[in-house]
Amino acid sequence: MKSLRFAVPIALMALSTFAFGQSDAKKSFDQLKTLSGTWDAKITVDPPMPGMGDGGKDQVSMRVTSRGNALVHEMRDTSKPDDPAKIDHPVTMFYLDGDRLLLTHYCDAGNRPRMAARVSPDGKTVEFDFLDVAGSTQYGHMHHAVFTLIDANHHTEEWTYMMPGDKPMHAHFDLTRAK
Amino acid sequence: MDREWNDSQPIYRQLRDRVVAMILDGVLKEGDPLPSVRTVAAEYRVNPLTVLKGYQQLVDEQLVESRRGRGMFINTGARNLLLQGERQKFLAEEWPRVHATIQRLGLTPQELLDAAASSVLKVDEAERDTAPSNDAKEKPKP
Repeated sequence: MKSLRFAVPIALMALSTFAFGQSDAKKSFDQLKTLSGTWDAKITVDPPMPGMGDGGKDQVSMRVTSRGNALVHEMRDTSKPDDPAKIDHPVTMFYLDGDRLLLTHYCDAGNRPRMAARVSPDGKTVEFDFLDVAGSTQYGHMHHAVFTLIDANHHTEEWTYMMPGDKPMHAHFDLTRAK
Repeated sequence: MDREWNDSQPIYRQLRDRVVAMILDGVLKEGDPLPSVRTVAAEYRVNPLTVLKGYQQLVDEQLVESRRGRGMFINTGARNLLLQGERQKFLAEEWPRVHATIQRLGLTPQELLDAAASSVLKVDEAERDTAPSNDAKEKPKP
């Protein structure tokens, strides 16, 4: 009986921690889903590269699929026809895995890194840390991503690609909703 | 540059290899600018981040430098740097295979030297045939 007195609160605590974690991840996932749509992107990179951020037309599209179980993110101009043999746009899938919000990035370098989400205290920034990678990393891999929600029509994305030799290349996307 | 990509390597790496080939062939000379990221992305219908990765790889290899606000330029000494690398790569990766074939066929050093001299002669002849003749240059104007 005595042991039950301790076991019940511990079980309840474990259960509430799990429930909190799960709802936290779900909250972030739901928030990311609100980004569904097409976005015009202004890209700047670090190390700086001339000719970027000069008003060229880049687009990102996001859509919810699989009965709400996945969010698809594509770095491509949706107005152009897709040719999977030639066009190299990367695809990222966001999904819940138990109490975690994960992403899998399908890179044209042929590998598939997974990253796990951390949310800022104000809930507006979702940061994805590298978890593991499937496939060869001989030609580098996507390593880190940060999504910051500004308002319904603006958000930013930071993507860090790890070049061979572990040299990071950061790309910053300022995104404005197109539709 | 060829617009077709193969499946053996990521596009950014193939882009890097094409620029390297153009430097080695003398198509791109030291100090020459590279086309902008946007131009390459639009012309070859690739993601600008892919072009960036290709260019960044060239910067990491010290073959290209980025000049703020002006663009990307082939570095001084880039061709020599590449030749050094390519020679080392040949000696480390290809030469052992070539050497094994020579051994297997029992080719003598003299036979190899003769073959090399004959190849040089053929290249010289081909260059002479394609060069404009002196007669044509000195032809008086009507």
